[in-house]
Amino acid sequence: MTYKIIIIGAGVTGCSIAYNLAKKGMNDILVIDKSYLTAGATGRCGAGVRQQWATKANCIMAKHSIEFFEHAKETLDYKGDIEFKQEGYLILATTKEEDLQFAKNVALQNSLGIPTKKLTPEEALKIVPHLNPKSFISATYCQTDGHLNPFKMTDAYYQAAKKLGATFNFFEKVLDIKHDNDIYTVTTNKGIYQSEILIDAAGGYSREIGLMVGLDIPVYAEKHEILVTEPISKMQGPMVMSFTKNLYCQQVPHGSFLMGRTTPNQPKDHDISSSHEFLDEMAKTIDDILPKIGELRVIRQWAGSYNMSPDKQPIICESDELKNFYIAAGFSGHGFMFAPMTGILISEMILNLPLSLETVMLHINRFKHQTTHEVEKSVV
Amino acid sequence: MRIEKHPILTFEEKKILHFTFNHQSMTGFEGDTIQSALHANGIKKLSESIEHHRPRGFYCAIGNCASCDMTVNNQPNVRTCITMLEEGMVVLSQKGKGVL
Repeated sequence: MTYKIIIIGAGVTGCSIAYNLAKKGMNDILVIDKSYLTAGATGRCGAGVRQQWATKANCIMAKHSIEFFEHAKETLDYKGDIEFKQEGYLILATTKEEDLQFAKNVALQNSLGIPTKKLTPEEALKIVPHLNPKSFISATYCQTDGHLNPFKMTDAYYQAAKKLGATFNFFEKVLDIKHDNDIYTVTTNKGIYQSEILIDAAGGYSREIGLMVGLDIPVYAEKHEILVTEPISKMQGPMVMSFTKNLYCQQVPHGSFLMGRTTPNQPKDHDISSSHEFLDEMAKTIDDILPKIGELRVIRQWAGSYNMSPDKQPIICESDELKNFYIAAGFSGHGFMFAPMTGILISEMILNLPLSLETVMLHINRFKHQTTHEVEKSVV
Repeated sequence: MRIEKHPILTFEEKKILHFTFNHQSMTGFEGDTIQSALHANGIKKLSESIEHHRPRGFYCAIGNCASCDMTVNNQPNVRTCITMLEEGMVVLSQKGKGVL
């Protein structure tokens, strides 16, 4: 079978790219996934969406993406509810150094039109009364940050892309890719497909897909764990987050709390097993910062792969070495919240349309040049 | 509600415990779970389904199903079928998901 475009990966990134291409009239698309819709990082993520970043690239990507989420249900004509809850992110500073960094972040964010405010502990406690007042020294808050359901959001993109004519093949694993005479030949465990354009949106496996065509994409998979508690009546509006204390914690509309943290020194592999170390450390962290939440029972824990890039910012570009090979990878744990812009940018690049954003800082070339580049510090 | 005579087993007399259920005074025995005491007092409706508010009765009896979740001494979502009754407990049936 021959298609104009093949996208590898049916997570939120692949589905957003498929939708944006199809919407612009390019619907000769095949999306291949080795499992089901959202089976990888998308369906495992914390699904918070925030604009409070320390680098310009991330701030702008996030701002535009949130503007999309605000109208996603109508734009995609989705029958279900994407459960967008826009009650902000409250990010805690716990050290003097972090407090100073946050002042800079807020100035950057405000300069880009993101309405973040710096808060005293008293002001933060008005927003989340069950915070341990001794656990932080200041906070930043952006009301328009939020949370949505990653399964529903991806399904919305998937349904819309399918309606516009895109084809999706699930439970089909890409085994090999050849590139001859400007044609990509993709061999899977079920068939052989050809296309002019190939898009790597394979999340944790982006590097492996790149290697199949001889491209060395400097990303790797890293396990991150998360858990969910029993539901309780609504008691927390915003996502509570701390980089130094290593925590994010959000109450979803159903009433459950989702929380995660980074376990240091993870191997660079595709392991997504759950560990008791995570449960132990998560419990200690939550007891320190949100002690009341510690009274809830844990229902379930799981893990997923972050696709880490060297500067923790995404790679969204066409490869210089390989014509018509596009990369949407290295989101470093933030692919879900950037997905709307990822889809828009990749579709604009492919169709040679004016770009909605300056994308130089998202190009893979940034890792080749000796110039120093900003590393995103606002990451859990 | 309680088995008092049994062809093989005998039941020794146990200490009476006082508690309230939805502000109504009740008694149970030492060794009761909250749920066995409520059952002996004729309480069959334990909670309501979250969406449609249909009654929920005694179901798994091993602390897994959440049908008997109640607020006990201000603690929400207590699995009353596996929680021992104590003197003076304040037990309230719970509407919805409970308030922490």
